[in-house]
Amino acid sequence: MTGRVLNLILTHQRAPQIGAMLKWWERELPGGAILLAVNHAAEIGDREFDAIPHADKVRVDDPRLRTRDHPRHRQSYSAVFRAAADWLATRPEFGFVHFAEFDHLPLTADLNDRQRALAERDGADVLGFAVRRVDGTSQSIWLSHATDEPLRKFFHDRSVRADPTVVLSMFGSGSFWTRAAFLAVAAQAEPCPVYLELWLPTLAHHLGFRVRGYGDGDASARVQNLGDRVREIEGARAAGAWSIHPVKTLWDGTEKTP
Amino acid sequence: MAARWFPRIYSLCLAVARWLGSPIVDQRTGRVLGRALLLPRKGKVWLIGLDVPVVPVFLPQERTTFWKQEIGFTTHPEPDFPHEAAQTPTSPPPTLRR
Repeated sequence: MTGRVLNLILTHQRAPQIGAMLKWWERELPGGAILLAVNHAAEIGDREFDAIPHADKVRVDDPRLRTRDHPRHRQSYSAVFRAAADWLATRPEFGFVHFAEFDHLPLTADLNDRQRALAERDGADVLGFAVRRVDGTSQSIWLSHATDEPLRKFFHDRSVRADPTVVLSMFGSGSFWTRAAFLAVAAQAEPCPVYLELWLPTLAHHLGFRVRGYGDGDASARVQNLGDRVREIEGARAAGAWSIHPVKTLWDGTEKTP
Repeated sequence: MAARWFPRIYSLCLAVARWLGSPIVDQRTGRVLGRALLLPRKGKVWLIGLDVPVVPVFLPQERTTFWKQEIGFTTHPEPDFPHEAAQTPTSPPPTLRR
C-alpha cells in the first residue's frame, strides 16, 4: 500500500480553538497532512470559517452531525466522509485516511507510520477502536436497528459476503482507512438513518473490506468514549499510548472538574 | 436538579442490580464478562447491568434431560473477515446510490 496519510479532523469549534488544536497537531505530527472538516451551522456564517488558520478545510453543514443524544438520534458522519472524498478526488497522492474527532489527540510523532504498519501487517483496509461484531447480541444500539427493514434489505442486496447479516460496531473516532475503502464507503448513502458506529464498519465489511481493531495494547489504551482526559495527557504519553480521547477542554483553556 | 441527580441514581440502580445478580460467563472462552441481573417477565427475560454485548445460547447437555434446559451467554469472536472487495477504486467515488 502506497501514498501519504491524510489526517481528517472533524471539529465544530471556532477559529481560535481550531488554531490551538492545529498547533498541537503540527507539533506532535510534524509534516502530517491535515484536512479540517468544519461542522458549522449555516447561521454561524462564512466569516468564522474563513478565519480558520488552515488552507485545507471543508465545511460540512449537516443536522445529523449535531445530534444531542448521538446513539438514539443516530448521528451520522456520512456528510463528512462525502466532503472529504470530494476533496481527495483531485489529490491522488493520498493512499490512506486517518479520521479523528477534534478531541482525539496524537501522542507520538510517528502515529501515521504506526497505523500504516499495523494495517499492512494485518492486511486491514480499516482499523478502528472497539471493533466488535454485534448482530444477534444484547448491544442496545444494534437492537434499536434490528427491525429496520431498509437497512436489512440494503446489506442483503449489496453485500459481497456469504453472510449479509453480519453487523459490526466501531468507535467513531480514530479510524484508519485505505483510500479505496474510504472512497467506497463515502460513496454510499444510508438507506435510512443509521448510527455511525454501526454504519461505517458494517458497510466497509459488506463492500468486502477487511475491518480490524487496533488491539488491546498501546494503540487503544487511552481511548474511551466518555469523560475528559485533559489531565492524563502526559501520563498517557509516558506510558506509550499512541493517542488519547476524549480531551474536550484543552482548546478553550478551561478544565472541567473530573 | 433532576438532571444532576439522574445519572447518579441510574448508576446506583445498575450497581444494585449487579450486586443482586450473578457473574455472566462467556460459554465459549470461560471468561467472566461482568455481573448482571436476569429477571423473567411476561415470557421474556430482562438482562440488567451487563455492558458487554452477548449472544444467548442454549447449552449442550451431557445427559439428555427433558425437564430443564440451560441458557448461557457467549460473545462473537473478534472480527477477522478476509478482504473480498470486488474492486479497489482509487479514483473519485461514483454517484451516490440509494
